[in-house]
Amino acid sequence: MTIFRYTLIRSFGNKTNLLFLTLFPVICIFLPQGEPWPPLPYGYQYFGIVMLFVGIRLATLIIEDRVNGVVKRLAIAPISYLHYLSGHLLAYAVIMVLQCVIVVYGGVAIGRELAQPHLLLLLYVSYSFVALAIALAWVSIFRSKDTAFLVYMSLIFFMSILGGLIIPLEMFPDLLKRLAVLMPTYWLERGLDWLVYGERMADYWIVQGVLWLYTILFVTIGSFKKLY
Amino acid sequence: MTIASMRGVVKRYGSYVALDCIDFDIYEGEIIGLLGPNGAGKTTLIHALTGLTPVDHGTVSLFGQAKQPFSRQNKERLGLVTQDITIFDELTAKQNLLFFAGVYGLKGKEKQERVKEALDFVGLGDKGDKNPAKFSGGMKRRLNIACALTHRPKLLIMDEPTVGIDPQSRNHILEAVKKLRDNGTTILYTSHYMEEVQAIASRVIIMDQGQMIKEGTVEQLIETIQSEEKVRIDVTEPYLVPVNQLEAIAGVKQVAVAGNQISVISAAGSGNLDRILTIVKERTGVVGIQADKPNLEDVFFTLTGKQLRDRGERE
Ligand SMILES: Nc1ncnc2c1ncn2[C@@H]1O[C@H](COP(=O)(O)OP(=O)(O)OP(=O)(O)O)[C@@H](O)[C@H]1O
Ligand SMILES: [Mg+2]
Repeated sequence: MTIFRYTLIRSFGNKTNLLFLTLFPVICIFLPQGEPWPPLPYGYQYFGIVMLFVGIRLATLIIEDRVNGVVKRLAIAPISYLHYLSGHLLAYAVIMVLQCVIVVYGGVAIGRELAQPHLLLLLYVSYSFVALAIALAWVSIFRSKDTAFLVYMSLIFFMSILGGLIIPLEMFPDLLKRLAVLMPTYWLERGLDWLVYGERMADYWIVQGVLWLYTILFVTIGSFKKLY
Repeated sequence: MTIASMRGVVKRYGSYVALDCIDFDIYEGEIIGLLGPNGAGKTTLIHALTGLTPVDHGTVSLFGQAKQPFSRQNKERLGLVTQDITIFDELTAKQNLLFFAGVYGLKGKEKQERVKEALDFVGLGDKGDKNPAKFSGGMKRRLNIACALTHRPKLLIMDEPTVGIDPQSRNHILEAVKKLRDNGTTILYTSHYMEEVQAIASRVIIMDQGQMIKEGTVEQLIETIQSEEKVRIDVTEPYLVPVNQLEAIAGVKQVAVAGNQISVISAAGSGNLDRILTIVKERTGVVGIQADKPNLEDVFFTLTGKQLRDRGERE
């Protein structure tokens, strides 16, 4: 509980983080609707990108712990790496879910047309966990916070384009379309699409299933590293 | 009772041998000093002893357990003051302590009390709500020490805890360390400051290039290098000093007069200073005395051929 609690405090203690955590989601609520694409207002499309940023912002705390050496103290303390990691992930997840709730129900409150808000929330939540898991796997590789963040920015850009969050997928050549399936962003896009045009409930759950597979995969990768 | 020990511990980094067959015991209730020049392997030894670094050979045992020295139960009884400052800059001093206290499973009122106790202990009682980012180097150091205290470890390992702390705070901390010992904490203390170790440690290990080159009480170590004591006395009228009378004292080896100063060399431990002074004072006025007792620094220098710390590095 201690790790969870102080991870929350530290996440909110950083000014840049506050910007990522509060301002960007609020902006997302107010962005206009596009015609005929995307299915939901632009902000609800771009929120998928924001979540990727938020994920890495949060997870760099783990790099910070490594850089400032606190992990040394933790490694000799009577707690396990799993305990440490789950404390961090839980705190991040709480923040992410909170953001999703704000974006979805904030939108509903001001009358945005969101098709099926509850299912949208569920979709966002699962996707935000993927964003966290990828970030976790990412920071387990990097020693420096700045490099981790900078390189990840390019990765986010790449994933956002290729997943169809910025330009409609139909405009892509076939090869890229096939590659896109590998991107978690593609599955978010597919989910968003389903919320407006989808018919079979099963299609929605397939999207959810894939997102959870991604989460499990990346959390597993990210948890291999030792604490110190 | 032995609290911790190493037997034949070897640690290599590639082909470099950072710890070369280390053997020692730490006994309950003592302050044991660990001395060595830069790169001697002190931190590596500490990391091996706390389980931060796996060793290539040999055994480490903590609290009598060699099979599982780093069990959860043992970890609860172990405290480490790291050589680097390892605290959260974005949390206040108090939050830092609350965090580490919480990690060690302390709760509620007890946790609050221990945190306050630790803050007072290092003299940061009124700085609890400040962020260490705004602390001076010395204050950060002190917080770094406090972070290892809230869970009241039975064995406290301090890796150069006083680097960069002003002399006044250093004395405060040395007193605090002695108090910890008096309360039953066993302490392994590493420092670049000889005087510190000489002042608080009951036993000393000297390391160089990954090897333990000497171990013993401060007195024992000093004895090994020196069999003589030298006294220099500044007097007002040196021609009045009865040189042959001084030479007749048992144990005195040599008496020399140079200018206004007489030097007397006698066997170590003969306790001749008093006798020499009495004789000199009968004839002439004494304006100054220097008794050159060899100290740990001399031991160190004799053994390693190195100063523990470059002069420029000293403060
Ligand atoms: N992770 C590592 N990889 C390779 N070599 C290392 C590593 N850690 C330490 N060393 C080497 O082992 C030797 C001992 O280092 P150590 O940090 O234990 O010395 P020390 O006695 O603590 O020195 P100081 O007084 O400067 O703190 C040094 O030569 C150092 O370069
Ligand atoms: Mg060191």
